[in-house]
Amino acid sequence: MAIAKAERLMNLALCLLGTRRPLTKAELRGSIEAYIEATAGSAAAASAAGASESGSDDAFNRMFERDKEDLRELGLVIETVEGVDGETGYLARRDSNRLPPITLDAEEAAALGLAASVWQQARLAAAASGALQKLRAAGMPLAEDPYGGQSALETRVPTHEAAFEPLLLAARDRRPVVFDYRKANAARPEQRRVEPWALEFCRGHWYLAGWDRDRQAERVFRLSRITGKVRSRALPFTAPVPDHVTVRETVESWAGETATGTARIKVRAGHGYPLRERATVTRALGDGWDELEIPYGHGLDAWLVEFGPDVVVLGPAELRADVVDRLRAVAKG
Amino acid sequence: MAINAIDHTRRMLSLVTYLRERPGARVADVARAFGISEDELIGDLDILPMCGTSFRGGDLLDIDTDGERIWWHNPDASGTSTGEPLRLAADEATALLVAARAVATLPGLREGDRQALVRATAKIEAAAGEAAEASSRLSVRFESEGGVFAEADRAISERRRVWLRYYSPARDELTEREVDPIRLFAVGHTYMEAWCRLSEARRTFRLDRVAEIRLLDEVSDPPPVELRDLSQGLVQPAAEDPEVVIEVGPGGRWVAEYYPHDRADELPDGGLRITLRTPDPASLRRLALRLGRDGRIVSPEDLAASAREAAREALAAYGE
Repeated sequence: MAIAKAERLMNLALCLLGTRRPLTKAELRGSIEAYIEATAGSAAAASAAGASESGSDDAFNRMFERDKEDLRELGLVIETVEGVDGETGYLARRDSNRLPPITLDAEEAAALGLAASVWQQARLAAAASGALQKLRAAGMPLAEDPYGGQSALETRVPTHEAAFEPLLLAARDRRPVVFDYRKANAARPEQRRVEPWALEFCRGHWYLAGWDRDRQAERVFRLSRITGKVRSRALPFTAPVPDHVTVRETVESWAGETATGTARIKVRAGHGYPLRERATVTRALGDGWDELEIPYGHGLDAWLVEFGPDVVVLGPAELRADVVDRLRAVAKG
Repeated sequence: MAINAIDHTRRMLSLVTYLRERPGARVADVARAFGISEDELIGDLDILPMCGTSFRGGDLLDIDTDGERIWWHNPDASGTSTGEPLRLAADEATALLVAARAVATLPGLREGDRQALVRATAKIEAAAGEAAEASSRLSVRFESEGGVFAEADRAISERRRVWLRYYSPARDELTEREVDPIRLFAVGHTYMEAWCRLSEARRTFRLDRVAEIRLLDEVSDPPPVELRDLSQGLVQPAAEDPEVVIEVGPGGRWVAEYYPHDRADELPDGGLRITLRTPDPASLRRLALRLGRDGRIVSPEDLAASAREAAREALAAYGE
């Protein structure tokens, strides 16, 4: 049976971490059983097929390159050193791979454990538990159940969008992406070319902020509106990445929370609690109705219509007309 | 659960570090420290003796277990730095820091927990160094209602029943009820799961819809309930719930994003035909009104009729 990949990666990691001088590819190939076995196997197959020895070299080289990438993925800093004889050597230096001293108490450990449980997305969940294991190995104490079974706040970040992981990696590695995006009110998706800056979870949804290459402007995208695959390209960004990205403000303006004026409405007594919560002025009219003044921004008409006959718009006229228009559409059926 | 090779390697490297400092560590303790089962740990201990700096030189890790305790007989054979704590990878620092920052901003989090998180975050930022920078590319914000949250949390820790004035959007009314809190959780919004004494059933309350909350002197005594798996989504319609069919134009496609549904079929005009189930179809009258010309209820007919009727009644107030 072939040697498990994790065992091969462990061996490569231990060799690179344990050495004081750079090890050549040939040395690593000769001292890791999995490489000997794998390349011997493919060499036999290659000679049986009448192919040259270089076939097995290629197979080893591909495996070795992929393994190094995998170890970098889990945080190992592997240096490539050109030797005097022109041979390339590899090592993972102690200084660049050692976790600096860090002391966490049991309370801090418990709080981190609670926080790390927010991730349900496989990649982030694995990264978070990997981080906790590294800290644990470095001496972080194991927390006793800090709540005695009582009232631990459970926090979850649902991440079901297929676009999440490719965008996370592209933003991390600063690679531009291409995807099909269907705007909220558009019938058909449209291709967008974006330099991804940051992902933000807000109001229960994931958003991407980035530079839209075609519109030459900053844009915010909702991940659930990305259709099809996200493809990334190994090209540089063309626009500078800002220090601060403002997803939340954009989402709030979509949600109509940036009020531009004031509306006067009538609300039937006992109804419209959320409208009353937002009212700046409330006046009882005495006939089973109250008059409210509320902030007027994008989307208010659609919200007011939800209350049906329990809300009447008094002004401004434009809002009144929008609401009447919507009601007519529903009344027609 | 199957684990991928990178995560598995990551775990075994940490395990080596952990064992170096703790000769004779107990299997049960180590499994708990790593958040894995004892079987998974034993599986790792079967692999480690095959690992080392040189397969031929014989300096493999000499780690074994009698099923009770774990021993490493040659911790210095593979070079002195084997088993030193490893720095955090960018993804690891990101996952931990983003989660810690998000949870620390939850209003209502116990002050002691918040302070512990803030301290831990600063220490990890310092220890992670450059790897911490990548964490600026990801952020999470929970919406939450500070005052209500703090009261609900206090009720749970003091095991007190609470009185609520709660807004039901489906009926557009406030109801008063007494509930025994079970737990708080945040999935985008913050919620309280509780046993409702009015309906004698488990109910989930969104904290931003709690108009008023008061702790009562009665002891909270919810019957034992199996906690729901939050990863399955909050709305889990039952098979016997009535079916509602809604047709929307392109401007109403957002409905499919907000309402869990059984199916959403594309229509030729760029719209959708959405089929969903709900225990209370009347609660969708609001949606029908909101959609306006962007969509309509296809069935049930009485729901469609009640939306039309509500719109006509509303129009009467405008003299139409």
